Amino acid sequence: MADASGKTWIDLVNSDQKSAPAPSSTTAHASRSQFKKSAMPTMTMGDRKSKGSLLQIQNDDKKPVSYAQLAMSIHELAASSDQKKSIRELVHHVFPKLAIYNSVDPSLAPSLLMLGQQCEDRTILRYVYYYLARILSDNGAQGLTSGGGIPTPNWDALADIDAVGGVTRADVVPLIVDWLFAEARNVDAYSHTRRIQALKALTYAPSTSSEMMSKLYGIIFSILEKVSPYPSMSFTTQLLKVAEAPDMRKKGIFGASKESIIGSNLQYAALSALRRLPLDLGNPLFLHRIVQGISFSDPVAVRHALEMTFELATKDPYAVAMALGKLVQPGGALEDVLHSHDVLARVSLARLCHTISRAKSLNERPDIKSQFNTLLYQLLTDPSDTVCFEAITCALGKYDNSDRMEVRALGWYNLTREFLKVPYKTDKSSKKKCPQLLIKLVMRRLKTSFRSSSRPVLHAAARVVQEMGKSRAAACALGLLNIEGDAVDTFSRSNDWDHGTSESEEHEDTVRSLLVSLLEVVRTTVACECVYVRAMVIKALIWMQSPNESFDELELLIASEISDPSWSATLLNDVLLTLHARFKATPDMAVILLEIARIFATKVPGKIDADVLQLLWKTCLVGAGPEGKHTALEAVTLVLDLPPPQPGSMSGLTSINRVSASDPKSALALQRLVQAAVWFLGENANYAASEYAWESATPPGTALMMLDADKMVPAASSRNRTLVSALTRLQRCTFSGSWEVRITAAQALTTIAIRSGEPYRLQIYEFLHALAHGGVKYKLLDMHISNGEDQGASGSGLGSLLSPALKVLDEMYRAQDELRNEMRNHDNAKREWADEELKKLYETHESLLNLVSLFCYVPRAKYLPLGPTSAKLIDIYRKKHKVSAFIGLNDPAIATGISELIYEATKQPPAVEPETFDDDLVNAWAAGLADDGFWGNNTPAMNRVNEFLSGSGTDAPDVDDQNIFSKPSSDDMWAKTLLEPSELDDDESSSSSSPGSVGSAETSASSRFGGLNYPSLFSSKSQPKEPSARPYGTTTGSSFYGSPIREEPTPYSLPSRKSYESFENPLGGTESEYGYHDDGRSSSGTIEFGTALYDFTAGGDDEMSLVTGEELEIEYEVDGWFHVKKVRPGWDGKMAGLVPVLYVTRS
Amino acid sequence: MLLAVLIANSDGNILVERFNGVPGEERLHWRSFLVKLGADNLKGVKNEELLVACHKSVYIVYTVLGHVSIYLVGKDEYDELALSEAIFVVTSAIKDVCGKPPTERLFLDKYGRICLCLDEIVWKGLLENTDKDRIKRLIRLKPPTEF
Repeated sequence: MADASGKTWIDLVNSDQKSAPAPSSTTAHASRSQFKKSAMPTMTMGDRKSKGSLLQIQNDDKKPVSYAQLAMSIHELAASSDQKKSIRELVHHVFPKLAIYNSVDPSLAPSLLMLGQQCEDRTILRYVYYYLARILSDNGAQGLTSGGGIPTPNWDALADIDAVGGVTRADVVPLIVDWLFAEARNVDAYSHTRRIQALKALTYAPSTSSEMMSKLYGIIFSILEKVSPYPSMSFTTQLLKVAEAPDMRKKGIFGASKESIIGSNLQYAALSALRRLPLDLGNPLFLHRIVQGISFSDPVAVRHALEMTFELATKDPYAVAMALGKLVQPGGALEDVLHSHDVLARVSLARLCHTISRAKSLNERPDIKSQFNTLLYQLLTDPSDTVCFEAITCALGKYDNSDRMEVRALGWYNLTREFLKVPYKTDKSSKKKCPQLLIKLVMRRLKTSFRSSSRPVLHAAARVVQEMGKSRAAACALGLLNIEGDAVDTFSRSNDWDHGTSESEEHEDTVRSLLVSLLEVVRTTVACECVYVRAMVIKALIWMQSPNESFDELELLIASEISDPSWSATLLNDVLLTLHARFKATPDMAVILLEIARIFATKVPGKIDADVLQLLWKTCLVGAGPEGKHTALEAVTLVLDLPPPQPGSMSGLTSINRVSASDPKSALALQRLVQAAVWFLGENANYAASEYAWESATPPGTALMMLDADKMVPAASSRNRTLVSALTRLQRCTFSGSWEVRITAAQALTTIAIRSGEPYRLQIYEFLHALAHGGVKYKLLDMHISNGEDQGASGSGLGSLLSPALKVLDEMYRAQDELRNEMRNHDNAKREWADEELKKLYETHESLLNLVSLFCYVPRAKYLPLGPTSAKLIDIYRKKHKVSAFIGLNDPAIATGISELIYEATKQPPAVEPETFDDDLVNAWAAGLADDGFWGNNTPAMNRVNEFLSGSGTDAPDVDDQNIFSKPSSDDMWAKTLLEPSELDDDESSSSSSPGSVGSAETSASSRFGGLNYPSLFSSKSQPKEPSARPYGTTTGSSFYGSPIREEPTPYSLPSRKSYESFENPLGGTESEYGYHDDGRSSSGTIEFGTALYDFTAGGDDEMSLVTGEELEIEYEVDGWFHVKKVRPGWDGKMAGLVPVLYVTRS
Repeated sequence: MLLAVLIANSDGNILVERFNGVPGEERLHWRSFLVKLGADNLKGVKNEELLVACHKSVYIVYTVLGHVSIYLVGKDEYDELALSEAIFVVTSAIKDVCGKPPTERLFLDKYGRICLCLDEIVWKGLLENTDKDRIKRLIRLKPPTEF
């Protein structure tokens, strides 16, 4: 590849190798050092050239083209620019060749300026403006603006061959700007083209100097003033004049005279330059000049004027509407834009109309709003798809990230009810002027677009359907959807415009049927070979799916689609995030969305972001509401029932109920997901089943009657099928699956045992007991399909893990027995409980609580390890001694006895939190909702979702799973890749590592499942002390989630010229987001250190050998591997690389 | 905002690039992403047939013309359809300058004028001139509208 391209490139840089000096000279100047970097690849390219290409170059007899030579030629030829030969040389050789270098160094500026002043040749002058603009645009903040092509050799080296040597940008910029200003002020009519180019070049000048900016504004306004139709009048009078005499616009003012054309050209230059400068908000003169621009005759000027008017309208719609005045009326300038050839001008018009017609500040002027609305609706029939689609999205209520649910809902409402009251011009067959229902118009247009063969059109059409889905969801959430069915009927009844001409079948058309037929067409679009179009179609279908319709079709479609290997991880995750957005808009769809998410888990486990998936599980489970909880949990954990993928089988590709894991990597990912599902089940089963030990009224003794396992299960099942089915699944998992899954299942069972009341606890206890001794294995073995793994000779192998859990349960039961005996004794003797006895009881309670808390989170204030009967006694003791239920005996005040003294004095018991602590609340904060709602935590997944929902994601894309640095083709990404070998090594190893070893899975089991990284309804991140937690019931309301449909607004925030903070380093970002991290250290940026535990020998280029005891800096973790840096180089000389997590201990 | 205009040869070497509002450190990723996109999808594609992609809310429209491939990246008002308009202007300008769909050699020979055309088409991240004749006049320092 390099050779093929090398030839042609080398033709142009043939002497580079000789002339470009070694890049070793050093300067601290930032931009210069950038150039030094870029000089090297040029040389590398030179080194690569073959003899063949050298010969070719000689045969070609090319003139010297190295940068140094070109620079020198410019200096020489500038001095003799009056000679024809020099001009020819510059035009045909020097300037075109110079363009190939990716930037222009400032030492050329004096010669360029000399040419600009002395030379008359137009082409040379055009090049001069071009190069001067490029010098100006090289601002220090972003380094040099590279323009592609060959990197320019470093400037230091050029300095000694340069007559003016050592010229810096700071030296020349003022010179260039001064000259350009002089040119821009030149009122000579014959040089007005130079004014145009000078103004253009000036917009590239750094905008930091306010003096320069005001000068530039001054020039622009003076041009606009001079060429305005009524130069002598005040601007308000001018505005009135223009508005009153629309005929004078365009032709009338200037006629076709030379002056008028020059005027029009200058208007263009002035508005184009103004468009590139910051908007002067709140300045009436500025607004006036821009609005005036809409009536200019130059189409590009009109477009810029409209774009600026739109941007001003987003800030102050009232002022803009007033300024536009009569321009919007029939025959006004805005109507002329409808017929302009400039597509982007019409797009801006649509946005402008939408902004003004929806502005709240204009509520008192419905006449103005309706004028703009009419204009917007007329754009729906625009022949250009670009304009029409923009008009549709505007009509639907979307134009930037601030769109709110009401605007959306209103958009959908209007679109389904309103009519276009102008002749439908594009439809030539119907000559009658009948009003068109907007939705029909839109549907017809979209259907036509979906038949297009152009991929951008298909993509855009699908996107419009998605926007439609969002608005519809908003309308649905606000209860405006029930009008859907009869909208058209209402129209035909109430319509007296053209009564009787509507065809009879139109009466039967409803919006619903229109939508159904549209969706048919949309579905066929998944046949498009472009995966991006397909992704957009699927997103559109997800948005168009309504909660009460069958989603089988969508499910099947997604299942068959995503099995296609051409889907990239980014796209799949995008769809997954769309599910989040859909859920936020319509929480009722929780179960449907979970079902869909399950397809992702089973089909493409290796590609999706597991954290985001689990966050979806959690939020959907909570959002499913009391009725849907069971179904939601089923939807998540059904994956555990599916047969494991058979090696080599491809039959699972299209069926939903098959798991596919075609390669080792996705098999590992699948296993990790199964593990996560087991964990999720353990953590959340109690929530889904609404079964809590602290709410159970069943006394422990009752369970004993059911000890017979045969009776126990059906009895329990009849009481709570959710919990029982969860238990059955988990019990099965303790046998099937891999070692990691079994461990997690055992842990999950322990969690449920601790949290559930009887008889479930006893049931699990019995099971775990048997499991620990290997007794149940054979009994249950036929219940699962073995995946072929050797299950081990002795029982389940979980004995050591289970014994502490069993011990806790034993302790609990023993304590319960004792309590029962004590109570009986007290009852028999009819004796009160002494304080000492109560204290002992309470201590037992506390110690058991502490023990239990080691295994899982339980609410300390409500949990009763001694059983429900102990509640009274514990309460007596607490009240007597003023023990806080939250802190227990650990409260230093209690421990030292001070509490009794203090509280005695105040008489009033401290605001006892448990009183505010109702059942709903427990569930709410248990669900992690207490402090910050669904979306407030800082796990990476939350960030991903939040980022998506706020649309703030346009970081540069990662090249899917590919190591862009190690790609052989990337050697031509000269500028960066070939620079620093050591840096390259790091990057290379960082991004290409995904060894799927058992070690890595074990690590993830221990480091991830042990931690609290998983979204759990019992995540101890919830603060039990938060009395202001919202009760669960409120969480299902969509209002709780904030503005619901903000999926993809503007990341680079368009109108204000902000810096683009949202642009983050994508590769780094992706790693921190997708990678598998340990708790909390993911993106925090803190440096971790560690020590090598064992010797490790590198097995590949990415890996690094270790010697026991070596000190390391841990950079990040990925798939069970640490990327570490050594403090000093190892025996093999490597400083950084991948090592297995298990070989390193964190210090 | 038209975030980037990028022209590469069939081997993935960047011939021309114009980034607007993309930080330096992200450009490398965009380059690699676009080049890979082209390598994966542009084989066997007809001249000027438009392909589309998107990344988050950024749109990409690209095509092949002779031996060079052209990529446009945009967001907000520069959605896939607006980019299609822009790419049409770029391709027709290149065809005009080169006289036919260019080979890499021809493209490099006309490199200077192509740069001037691009300068007239995209100005600080916004589409400027779309009319062929107008562009032709402007790169010769003639007025956009002749008397």
